[in-house]
Amino acid sequence: MAAASKATSFNSSTAHLGLNNHFRLKMSYYFTILSPTDTPLFNIAFGTSKGGGDGIARFRFPETAQYMNQFIIHSSLDILEEAQWTNGGMYLKHIDTYPPAAAYITAFLTPSGARFLLLHQPPHLPSSTSTGSGLGSSSLLGSAGSTTRASSSSIAANPTSPQTEEAVRQFMNEVYESYVKTAMNPFYRQGMEIKSPVFRSRVTAAGKKWL
Amino acid sequence: MTSPGDATPVKPPPSFSPGIARVASKSPSRYPGEHETTQSLDAELTGSHTVSPPTPLSATVAELPIRSSSSHSRSERSSTGQLARSSIGSPFDGRADGSEDIRSSIIRSFSPTIAVHASEDTDDLVRNKGFKGGFWELIRPFGETVSGKVVIRDSIGSSRAWEDYGVRFINFKGIGKAPAGQDSGPLAQIEEVLSKQLNSSGDTLGGTVRTKDVLGFPATTPLCKSFLQQLLSSTPAAPHETFGHPVANVIAISSRNPSPLETLRQLYADGATGDQHLPTWINQEYLRYYVLIHDEERDDITESTKLYDQMKRHFGLHCHLLRLRSSQCVVTDDDSMQVPQCEWLSPSEHLSGAGEAEALVDLGTDGTPYLFGSDATGIRAFIRELVVQSVIPFMENKVAIWNDQVASKRRGISGKFMSMSRRWAGFGSSSRSSIGGSAGGSGNYDPTQHFYSPDSPEAILRKMADFSFMLRDWKLASSTYDMIRSDFGNDKAWKYHAGAHEMCAVSMLLNPLATSAKIKLDSVDQMFETACYSYLTRCSDAPHALRCLSLAVELLKSRGGSATESAAKWAMRVMDFGLVGSVGQILYTERVAACYASKTPGGAAKWGGRRRKAGMWSMLAADQWLKAGQPTLASACLEEAERLYADVLQADGVFPMPEMQSFVENLRHAVKVEYLEARGFDARDEPPAEDSTAPEETSEKLDKRHHRRSLVGLPVQLDTGALNTTQEPRDPDGPSNDDFERA
Repeated sequence: MAAASKATSFNSSTAHLGLNNHFRLKMSYYFTILSPTDTPLFNIAFGTSKGGGDGIARFRFPETAQYMNQFIIHSSLDILEEAQWTNGGMYLKHIDTYPPAAAYITAFLTPSGARFLLLHQPPHLPSSTSTGSGLGSSSLLGSAGSTTRASSSSIAANPTSPQTEEAVRQFMNEVYESYVKTAMNPFYRQGMEIKSPVFRSRVTAAGKKWL
Repeated sequence: MTSPGDATPVKPPPSFSPGIARVASKSPSRYPGEHETTQSLDAELTGSHTVSPPTPLSATVAELPIRSSSSHSRSERSSTGQLARSSIGSPFDGRADGSEDIRSSIIRSFSPTIAVHASEDTDDLVRNKGFKGGFWELIRPFGETVSGKVVIRDSIGSSRAWEDYGVRFINFKGIGKAPAGQDSGPLAQIEEVLSKQLNSSGDTLGGTVRTKDVLGFPATTPLCKSFLQQLLSSTPAAPHETFGHPVANVIAISSRNPSPLETLRQLYADGATGDQHLPTWINQEYLRYYVLIHDEERDDITESTKLYDQMKRHFGLHCHLLRLRSSQCVVTDDDSMQVPQCEWLSPSEHLSGAGEAEALVDLGTDGTPYLFGSDATGIRAFIRELVVQSVIPFMENKVAIWNDQVASKRRGISGKFMSMSRRWAGFGSSSRSSIGGSAGGSGNYDPTQHFYSPDSPEAILRKMADFSFMLRDWKLASSTYDMIRSDFGNDKAWKYHAGAHEMCAVSMLLNPLATSAKIKLDSVDQMFETACYSYLTRCSDAPHALRCLSLAVELLKSRGGSATESAAKWAMRVMDFGLVGSVGQILYTERVAACYASKTPGGAAKWGGRRRKAGMWSMLAADQWLKAGQPTLASACLEEAERLYADVLQADGVFPMPEMQSFVENLRHAVKVEYLEARGFDARDEPPAEDSTAPEETSEKLDKRHHRRSLVGLPVQLDTGALNTTQEPRDPDGPSNDDFERA
């Protein structure tokens, strides 16, 4: 599962690798908090704000993204249930990939049993002009994928790089702090959907800051 | 006479597939002609397809009120329930069935090739019997399953008996020549055949005809099996692998021939020189087998026996006297029997009508040829003798010789040193001549024509590995492939390189002794990766790449455990590379679901399964089938998805995520509408029946089903659905999109 998926068509991708590294990738994110019974408590979709990003999510397949994101997150619970026993930390890092949409799932556990799941997706590359993707053909080359990764400095370019994992960790920690404080609100009972605008704005801010 | 029950004894099922799989192992395209309605599919599901239908039929009738009372997707559901109950009789067989069936057909697809070279008079004789293709066409279907057990001795000397051994007869004249008049590649043809099968059989082929194991996972759909079979039989003889090369050549003359020995000599010479000679990359050291066909009706047996004795004196033991009647057999004759159908038809043959689909439509007129029972017995005995007494010993012998003479040199310490020094020498000189091409290689590879000469050690080792693979000695095969695979890389013989990697991985996976713990899945994955890269990028050979990946998917899936995940990964890779057309994409979506579904939770803990993933892929497959206009298949997938999700969802069967839930609801609804629309009159007929039985049904289904919500809401939905069908046809993706904006 760790093998990265590819973005562009198979034949054209290798030729353009390494070109246009300056081209900033606008990642799209979908963040969900799931209750222990898998009910979503909180959803937010946003895009990267780094490198001139406007913070608006642009998923690859906008017409199906609505439900596909939820499907992907839901299906990654299979992996999450396994990873939560095998991984010592609360932050489980990158646990799952959905290759057809190049969606990556990162997870974070909380003591109350709620799970934070972050789906990140590099943008669809519309044409040959924008093939700076570190994902280009790494699915095929397998091990060679690591070499192409190094070419891009942007954290967004490669969802499995250490930089990205670190950034997501910061994001998760910050969201966790806000979540704990929200959950301590006397009017909030466990399992309720989080509707607090303050919480939402904090998550947005954390996303802006780290992702 | 025409019922499949008559045909089955002719084609005994593979040893691997007892019980239910027997139904699925039949050629899928037989269904459309025989079954008009989905109801009768249940008759097949209960496994008594080959026996008399009454019992399952009555069971179906008993089930009818419930089925017709519901929407289609629920009728599917009830059929599954029924199946689960009916298959309980053989739980453990059932479990093994699905994957073993696929495994067995993969193994059988790599069977020795035997060329058939018949004289003109022989072909004339056979053509009189109604076989237009001549002698080759007559014996071909019988070769696919050799009757009785075939005992094969492996390199260590232990023997094993196989019940499902087969050989593949090919026409001598067609070897190494691309099929004429082909304007599209084999992949496009497969796609075309698939969509033809889909359309011709409509919803009778429906996904309901599935083999299921005890846990109810879909093992294979007939469509998927047909796809795999076509894929595996679509590759023509190529230099880089010897599976298509003849192991033996059957030279046939008939008793009508005025100068028999002269003709035999002529036919023999054709193979070596002549204008029909084989491509130079085929090793000429194949077995020659001489057959004399005696015409029972016109000629004198004493004459033929005399000639046969003469042949034996000339050519040694590899001779056979086959007695056939020369007149054409018709259905009404005593002792007539249907010729079994070929299981391994290449896609172009499917397209050119050699397939059975058309023949079944006008069944009884002239579609399938008939044969006298005595002839069939004679042919079967001939093939058995050919395989057991000549071909297998010949191959065993060759493997042993090559193993001694060629492979052992490479295995020893000096051999390793030799190849190493050669590599280093090549490396040293390559700095200058690397642009020249074959630097660093052994020099046996011809880079301009892209093949090794057949007597070079590399080609012989590859042939030896292929032989032992076909003899099902996977251990020797994998070690041999392993030995040569890097050589091909050094020689930059990329197709050979890819082929050796592919077969090395496949034989490692097939080797039953290497348990999943022993075998390193990583290295297998790596080999598939390399093979696929060499095929696709270096040689742009999509058919072989697809074959390689499909084998990877099926074999890894049958391994179970963590291998299923890489199986799913390869299946996604197939879709990603765009190797398959639109129907193929959906089939592979189903395969991904099946791969994930076959990963069961380990131990007592609930985790480790991949139910959600499997469910998601099934949903996606349902969506795609619907978009492809196949509501029956869509509803089968939907049903599958609901069953997979049943374990992970809360008791009410509602998805926790709102948009998923609305997507699924829309999908259910759309499938239902489309399905009813597809069978218009049913839509109007069904609602009345429903009210009477609805309460009974809900009470029945409450126990295990988690779809209470949809059950309760159903009557209303069904009515609107039925109305809709008559008025406005609905766009399949329309409803889903509408609701999402609202949600």
